[in-house]
This record gives sequence, structure tokens and C-alpha cells, in this order.
Amino acid sequence: MLNGSICFQQRVTQILYKDVKNAAELRRKAMEGNINGALVNPTMLVGPFQVLVAANKAVHLQTTGKMKTKTLNAEIIFNLSPTNNISEAFKRFGISDGDHSILVVVVHKSDEVQFVSDISAMVDGQQLPVDDVSSLSDFNKIKKLFKITPQEEKCGPLLDAVVCRMAIKDVL
Amino acid sequence: MAGQTTLSRFVGKADLVKQGAEGRVYRAQFLGKPTIVKERFRKRYRHPVLDEKLTHRRTVQEVRSILRCRRAGISAPVVYFVDYTSHCIFMEEIAGSSTVRDHIVSTQQANSCKELELQQLAERIGRILAKMHDEDVIHGDLTTSNMLLRCSSQDTESDLVLIDFGLSYISSLPEDKGVDLYVLEKAFLSSHPNTNVLFEKLLQSYTKSSKKSPAVIKKLDEVRLRGRKRSMVG
Amino acid sequence: MQSILCFFFPATMTVVIGFEGSANKIGVGIIRDGEVLSNPRRTYITPPGQGFMPSDTARHHRAVILTVLKEALEEAGLKPADIDCVAYTKGPGMGAPLVTVAIVARTVAQLWGKPLLGVNHCIGHIEMGRLITKASNPTVLYVSGGNTQVIAYSERRYRIFGETIDIAVGNCLDRFARVIKISNDPSPGYNIEQMAKTGTQYVELPYTVKGMDVSFSGILSYIEEAANKMLSSGQCTAADLCFSLQETVFAMLVEITERAMAHCSSQEVLIVGGVGCNLRLQEMMGVMCEERGAKLFATDDRFCIDNGAMIAQAGWEMFQSGQVTELEDSWITQRYRTDEVEVTWRD
Repeated sequence: MLNGSICFQQRVTQILYKDVKNAAELRRKAMEGNINGALVNPTMLVGPFQVLVAANKAVHLQTTGKMKTKTLNAEIIFNLSPTNNISEAFKRFGISDGDHSILVVVVHKSDEVQFVSDISAMVDGQQLPVDDVSSLSDFNKIKKLFKITPQEEKCGPLLDAVVCRMAIKDVL
Repeated sequence: MAGQTTLSRFVGKADLVKQGAEGRVYRAQFLGKPTIVKERFRKRYRHPVLDEKLTHRRTVQEVRSILRCRRAGISAPVVYFVDYTSHCIFMEEIAGSSTVRDHIVSTQQANSCKELELQQLAERIGRILAKMHDEDVIHGDLTTSNMLLRCSSQDTESDLVLIDFGLSYISSLPEDKGVDLYVLEKAFLSSHPNTNVLFEKLLQSYTKSSKKSPAVIKKLDEVRLRGRKRSMVG
Repeated sequence: MQSILCFFFPATMTVVIGFEGSANKIGVGIIRDGEVLSNPRRTYITPPGQGFMPSDTARHHRAVILTVLKEALEEAGLKPADIDCVAYTKGPGMGAPLVTVAIVARTVAQLWGKPLLGVNHCIGHIEMGRLITKASNPTVLYVSGGNTQVIAYSERRYRIFGETIDIAVGNCLDRFARVIKISNDPSPGYNIEQMAKTGTQYVELPYTVKGMDVSFSGILSYIEEAANKMLSSGQCTAADLCFSLQETVFAMLVEITERAMAHCSSQEVLIVGGVGCNLRLQEMMGVMCEERGAKLFATDDRFCIDNGAMIAQAGWEMFQSGQVTELEDSWITQRYRTDEVEVTWRD
């Protein structure tokens, strides 16, 4: 579990699971609005910072009334994607029924903690430290999707290249 | 201060680094990272319609050009977040860096044996600008203050990072690239008196590095001449 | 103690007469140690839609220069014998008018037996501005019909940090005035300024800033092309166009001035040159200065617009620092950059 602050005094908690057996059920619950969090495919993540960037932007756009999707959780998933195509974003960064690893992202007020045990009760899987997310990353797929050039990798880490595209995609 | 209230939504504490012509620059922690926030606040001297148009355009152009440069392998700060409502760009703080301007000034003061090192730096700048222009990025405000040297731990050569893309735009015209170099030439020679040789090195390496350089250098010569030939009546 | 003694018992005062006629104004001014004793001037005014041509302008200057000279001496209450030095505009400017004025200056210098001094016109504006406003080391915005420069002093030169890469801002305004037939009396810029006050609608125009440089040719060709169409279709009024043009070009000027100030860490701005007496430009510059905690210095039309006293003042500074121009060197030049002059009178 990892807890970080974002804008408007909100906090983001990330919980990572592997060997998940009930992905289909979780996905259905999330679509029905019965899970208070975004379910993210961790193989498309380079690190937890990427999620903070997406969540911060989602909360900002929600406050200014400029979200591209209907809910904050959907907006987080949308923001992780390098393109402005919503269904593509869900396909790549949301979870699929057969997935075995899931990152749950929850935006909350700093004093809220109840949801952690609620989510743990729902997920049938093994919790991992969030910093281990890169052990699950599919780097080749990420580089391909984000169109990272070999020259760009010389400028700095992959995470930088990914985050930069996420931050700028709305004006590309 | 209006800027501070906007920023306080995103960061706990922001220290004003400088108030440039483009806006205020703050240093802060953002999502746990050392971050530079560039805030283009409203310029009250400008007509509100013009102000909004310019401010928005420049914010967009800045982040677009940064990405375009990075894709081409030219170092520029990573953009973390852009707030188009308050016109703030949150970007990577280039840690342990100094401006090329300060570097040239201090090297010149130190001793003359480092002349070769400065020439190599000038050549590196020439190569990087040639690469940038080959990507059709026109920086728009090239000065030695808008280039940073980042000391890297492993190799001896420090990384050159381009910043301040607020006046940048995309163009393939040799005229635009020539004016870009002209702006740099003037800024370079006025900030560093008696560095004509150094700037010449920069242009030579620019010329060698880009196939498109002959047309650009020709335009640069034309623009220089325009300045000298202007009659300046009145 | 010595300096106090000097204050009470000054050495004899130095009187310099200055001749200016590089464009369509002809002026003769007399300065005595920082005091303007007289500064008469005439302007060659052309009909609406027309600019001033060099030979016509020179003819105008020839016709009035002796009258203006006589006025200058009478107003100052001085005789030729009281003058210590004769300063004239060496350049830059229009060839024929410059020659006309230089000939008169050379002639009186020889008649009166006084030393000559050829002065850079731009430096004249800067030194006059410094004298009148008491600005000590300002970033200078020099804006006129022929010049647009952002200047700062460093190491014995007035260095040009920013300038137009094509036409001057005053030239852009003058040529716009010709397009929509605004009167040249007293000056096109003044009439644009008055008309702009009743403009309400902001029309978007090209805005071109490149680092510390600006470009006005794009704006001019855009407005030349579009102005009469917009007016005849009733899309906007002439006043709206004046207003929008001023708002756009002045914003560009304030922006490059601010950039130069940030670059040089300067906290003073001095506006000089004919366009510098525009109150809207001064107002906008003032707002920028306030935002930066800087100070604005500007003068009115007596000293902003080309005049003889400014040449006398720069000449006074040069003369005091030991300079004179020998007769055989007393030529003129149409091109004379501000940064060519070694500033011998400042630290």
C-alpha cells in the first residue's frame, strides 16, 4: 500500500495485488459502481508516480468541471493513457476478466481509512508492496504504446517519458 | 498573492525563484518530487483578450515543444502536470544544474586555459540546436540563460538541457531558424563580450550537424544585414 | 571638502547649442549645464496619405533653419560669443535633411570660431531622457519613426539588447495612418492615439515577439490588407483599429522591455523617442513596472519628439569628456548604430 497527497488536500492510496482469482467479479462490481476505486492493470505501469500524476489530474479536472469521462475513477484510468481515446484507455489500463494482477487506486480525504479493509475483503489475491509494481511491468508493451523512441531513452528514465506524454496529451 | 493561492491547491509550500518576463517561477515539492512551477500570471498591461490568448498559446507551445525535443533525444524538463486554468506548468527541477551563462562567465574569470573546454561546449550547443531545428522546433528565446548544464555522476560530460520554450513554435522555414540563431547570437554576444570566436565555433558545428543548415545560415546572414542596413530615420 | 567648495564656486558654465534635423523635425536647442535655455522646433507636415520625402524635407529645413536658430538665441538671451560648442546630428537619419543641418552647423561653428561635435541621434534621445527624468541607469526603450530598440548601458556602450528585425514601430503606425487617411497634423501617431481613446472593440492582429526582438512588418501587411475591408463592411470602426493596433504593438514593446529588464536585473525604464510620448504606451509600461517593483521614467512631447536640446545635451556630455569633431571629420551618415559610440562620459 502506498499513500500520497495530491491537489485539494486529497490523498491517493494504491494497493497492489498479484495472483488475483476474481478479476471478472471485481470488474463487474467496479462497473456497477460498487467499488470506490479505480482498478488498474499494473503491467502497463512503470511506477506508482505515474498513478499519482493521473489521479492529481483527475481531481483537478473534476474540480474545474472538465473531466472527459463520467467518474473520477474512470478519469484516472483515462489519464494513464497516452491517447485521447477513452475505450482504448480502458482496454489498456483497465483490467480484463482474466487478469491476475490488479492495482487498486483510491482517492480519499486524509482521515478516511475504512475503504482499505473493504477492498481487501473484496479482492481474492495476494497483496504486494506497491513499489514492486515495476516487477510486473511489461516494458516492451509500454514503450510501444507510448511510442518511446530510443533517442528519448537517452534523455532519462522510461517513467519520465511516460509521465510527460500523460501530462501533455490533451494538447497534442 | 493570487499565484500562491492557486499553487497552494497543488503544493504545500512554494518558494519564488524569480520573476521573469514570462511569469513567476517557483520551486516546490509536487507529488513528492522536487518541481519547478512556471506560472504565467495575468499581465495587467495587456488587453484581457490578447493576454488570455497569448498566455494560453505559450503554455501549450511550451509543453508541446518540450515533448518534441525529448522525443528527438534533446534533454528538456519532464512535464508533470499542466493547469490550463491558472496557466501553470509543473515540471522537473533540473537538480544540480547551472546555466550555460554562469558557466561561461565563471570559466572566463577563472583562467584562459579552459578556452578549449568552452569551445567544446559551444560545439555541443551547435549540434543540439541543429538537431532541434531538424525537428522543426523554433525555440524563440535562445539565450545562454535558457540552457542548463546538468552534472551527471557517471560520465565526465555534463548533460545540456534546453528550457523556457514559451516563445517556441513549429516551423520548417529557414527564415524562422535563421532568426532563432540571430536571437541567440545577439543574446550570446551581449551577455558575453569578446566571445565572437566561441560563437563562430557554435555556428560551425551547427552547420556541420544539419543537412538543412546552408539555407538557415544564408537567412541568418540576411537577417544580420537587415539590422545593419536599416536606415533608422527619426 | 573639496567637492563642496566646487559646488559654491563653480568653474565657468558650459553652453552647447544643438542642431537636429534627421527626419521631418528641425530643431535648435541650447543647454547650459543641464538647463534647457531654449528649444524651438518646426515640423514638416505632409497631406494625409503621404509620407515625407528626403528632398522635400530638406527643402523645408533649409527654408526655416535660420529663423529657428535666431529664435533659439533670442529665447536663451545669448549671443554667439556665449556659446562654447556647436553640436549637430551626425546620424542616423535621412541623408538630405542631415546634410542640410550639418552645413549650417559647420558654417556657424566657423563663423563664431567654436568647436564642432557630431552627435549620434539615438544617444541624444537617451541623454536628454536621463537629464530630464534623472533616471540613473535605466533600461531604455527607444521608439520612433525609424527606430525600435531596447538599450542598456554596459562597459562604455549603450548596448542594443532588443530591436525590430524589420520596420520601426513608428513607421508601422505612420503607414497604417496613411492606409486609412489619418491626418499627419501634428503627427499621425498623435492622431492615432486620440482616435484609439474612443475605440472599444479589440480586433485580433498578429503578435510577433522573438526573444528580445520584435517584428512589425507582418502586422502592417495584415492591417494594410484587411483595414479597408473591415471598415467598409462595418465590422469595426477606424477608432477600433487604432485602439487594437496600439494595444498590440505596445504590448509587444512592453514585453521585450520587461524581458531585457529581467535579463539585466534592471529596476528602471526610460522611454524615449517620438512614440514615447504616447500616454497609452507610458501607462502600459507603468503597469508592468509596478508589477515588478520597478520605476518608469518618461518625458513629454517637448523632449520625446526630435529636438535640438537633445543634441546639445549629448554634445555637452561629450564636450565635457574632452571630445570635439574636427572640421574634416564633420560628415554625416545615414546609418549609425547606437552601440557604435564609445560612451566616454559615463563610468
